[in-house]
Amino acid sequence: MRKVFDDYRALADSVLRPDEPKVDKFLAAMARSLKKKDNWTFWLPYVLSLDYCMKCGTCAEVCPVYLASGRQEIYHPVARSEMLRNVYRRYFTLGGKLWPSLIGAKDLTEEGLNALAESFYRCTVCRRCAYVCPVAIDNGLIVREGRKILDAIGIAPDELKDFGTQLQVKVGNATNIGVAAFRDIVEFLEEDIADSWGVQVKIPVDKKGAEYLVMHNAGDYLAFPETVMGAAVVFHAAGVDWTLNSPATGVNDVVNYGVFFSDVELEKVVRAHVKTAIDLGIKTFVIGECGHAFEALKYLILRLIPEKERPFEIKSILELEAQWIQEGRLKVDPSRNTEVVTYHDSCKLGRVGGLYEEPRLILKAACQDFRELQPNREMSLCCGGGSGFAIMAKGDFLKFRMETYGKLKAQQLLDVGADVVALACSNCKGQFREIINYYRLPVRFAGVSEVLAKALVL
Amino acid sequence: MAFFIGVILPYFTLAIFVGGMFYQLARLARVPLHLHWELFPYPESLGAQLGELVSEVVSLRSIYRHKRKLWGRSLLMHWGIYLQVFWLIMVLFGGRGYAWLGMVGGLACLSGALSLVLFRYVDPEMRRISTPADYLNLLLVGSVSLVALLTGFYFQEAAFQRYLWGILSFRPVPPSTGSFLLNLFLIQVFLLVLPFGRMAHFAAKYFTYHKVKWGEVRRHA
Repeated sequence: MRKVFDDYRALADSVLRPDEPKVDKFLAAMARSLKKKDNWTFWLPYVLSLDYCMKCGTCAEVCPVYLASGRQEIYHPVARSEMLRNVYRRYFTLGGKLWPSLIGAKDLTEEGLNALAESFYRCTVCRRCAYVCPVAIDNGLIVREGRKILDAIGIAPDELKDFGTQLQVKVGNATNIGVAAFRDIVEFLEEDIADSWGVQVKIPVDKKGAEYLVMHNAGDYLAFPETVMGAAVVFHAAGVDWTLNSPATGVNDVVNYGVFFSDVELEKVVRAHVKTAIDLGIKTFVIGECGHAFEALKYLILRLIPEKERPFEIKSILELEAQWIQEGRLKVDPSRNTEVVTYHDSCKLGRVGGLYEEPRLILKAACQDFRELQPNREMSLCCGGGSGFAIMAKGDFLKFRMETYGKLKAQQLLDVGADVVALACSNCKGQFREIINYYRLPVRFAGVSEVLAKALVL
Repeated sequence: MAFFIGVILPYFTLAIFVGGMFYQLARLARVPLHLHWELFPYPESLGAQLGELVSEVVSLRSIYRHKRKLWGRSLLMHWGIYLQVFWLIMVLFGGRGYAWLGMVGGLACLSGALSLVLFRYVDPEMRRISTPADYLNLLLVGSVSLVALLTGFYFQEAAFQRYLWGILSFRPVPPSTGSFLLNLFLIQVFLLVLPFGRMAHFAAKYFTYHKVKWGEVRRHA
C-alpha cells in the first residue's frame, strides 16, 4: 500500500482506491451532508464545528495522539479538522469562493482527499478535545462527519462495515458465530465457570420473556470469555431471571460500528437490536461491557427510534451491578481481590456515557486496594482502541496505535503501579492486550464483571 | 464623506449587523433536533448552567486550565471588549466620567489583541493553523481600540451620546470632526464583519454548550 498521509494505512487499497478519481463524488456527498433534511441527525453540531473554531489550539493540549506523536503537525486536531473545513469554505461558503486564500479555503485534490481519508482514521473520536474547548467545538464530530461522507462514496474500513455492521445484521454478530457454535461456546463457558469458580451456573440462552437480556460484544466470547463468565456468575448470584441469546433469535452482538462512521449503519444495527429485544419479549436490555454500544443504545437511540417502539428498559451491566451491590443483592468480599486494581475510564462510558461512579462503586466494593489512574474520569486519556481501532491492524496500524495513544496509556499504568487494570469496554480490552504486550508491562487486564465475580460470596 | 459615514453608513451597518445576527441565530435555531451528543459531566440545573457560563465568560477558565500561555493575552483582550461595551452602554444612557473605563478597556483590548497576533505569528503551532483572516480579525479588534485611544474618543462622551440618540431617533446629525468619523468608521467595519465570521462565537456558544455539549438528557434518563 502506497503512502498517502503518514507511514501508516488504516484503509486497504481496495477500500481507499487511491488512484481512482473521487473528488467530484466527495463534493456531492459533502453537499448532502450540509443539508438539514439529509443530515438531520448531526446538522447543528456539525455546522457549529465547521464555522466557529477560533483556532486557539486548546484542543491540541489534551489530544492523546498529537501529544504522544511528539506534537507532529499532521496530528494536530485543528489541522485535521481543517482538512475538511478548507473544503467546506472553498466550495460551500461565499467567502471561500470570493477570497479563498484569505480564509484558508482550498481546492480539494485527489491526493488531498486520500490524505483526508487516512487522517480521519487517526483520531478515535474520544472527544477529550471537545470537553476542554472554550467554544465547545468538536473535532471528533468533524472526524465522524468526514467519515460519513467518505462512507457515502464507498470508503469505510472493511473491519467496520463489510465484516462489521453488514455481517452483524446478516448473521447476527460481527464475529460470524453460528447458532450451533454459539451454544457450544456457552456450554464450554459453563464448564469453565464450574472449574474456575467452583459453582454450577446454568446460562440460559434464547429464553423468551426473561427479565434481563444480557447482550455482550460477541468478540468477548472469543477474545475475553472471562468477562462473559464473570457476568454469568454475577447474574447467577443475583438470582434474577436472565438470558443470553443466540443468532437464532436475532442479533446477539451488542456492538454497533455504525457509531464510528455512518448514521445509516448505526440505525440499521440499532433497529436490529430493538427487534431482537421485542421478539424475545424481555423487560430489560442489558448492555455488556462495551463502550460504544452504550452510546448507541443509551443515547443515540433516543431520537432515532420513538419511545413507544422500544418497550423495554436499557441498562449497562455496570449500572445493574452497582445497583445490586448497593441493595445488598450481591454480597462481596474484597479480601478475595488483594492485588492493586485500577480502572480505565472508557471514553464512551465516561465522557460520552456519564458512567463514572458505577464502576468505581463496584471496584471499591470488590477490591482491597483500588487506585485511580491520573488523569481520570472526564479527563481520562483514550487508550487508542476506540472508534474501531482495536480491530484495525493492517498497514502497520497496530504500530500507530501503540506509538501514539498506547504510549501514554502505558506510562499511566506504570505510574499507578497497579497489578490489574479493570476495563468495561471490549475495544479498550483489545487495545490494552496489545499495549501490555508491546510495552511488556507487569500488569494484566480484566473485565469489571470478572473482578466483581471473583469477590462474590456465592 | 461625513454624511456618508455618519448618516448613511450607520443605518446600513445596523441593518446588516442586526439582520446578519438574526440570520445566523435563526439558521442555528431552526434546525431538526439532532441525536444526543452530550459530554459528561455537565451542569444540569439552570442555575448551575448559568454559573458555568458566567465563570467561563469572565475567566476563560478552559484556556487557563489547558493552555495557560494563551490565557493572559486572551483574557486581556476579552475584558477589554467587555469594558468598552460597558462604557458604551453607560454613555448611551447618559453616564459621564467613564472615560477611564473606556480607556482601560481600550488599552486592555489593544494590548491583548496585539499580544495574540504576535503569539499566533511567533508560536510555530499557532502559525501553522492560522489563516490571514485570523490575524485580520485580531487586528481589526485592536485597531478600533488603538484609534479610540489615540484620538481621545473615550472623552467625547456627550458628543457620542448625542450622535447615537440622533441615529436611534432617526434624526441623525453628521459628526463634525475627522477623528470622530474615523472611530465611527472602524466601529462600523467591526459591526459589519462581526455576524459573518468566527468572531460571532459569543453567540454560537449558546448552541455549542446548551444545545450540544450540555444537551438535555439527565444522567440517568
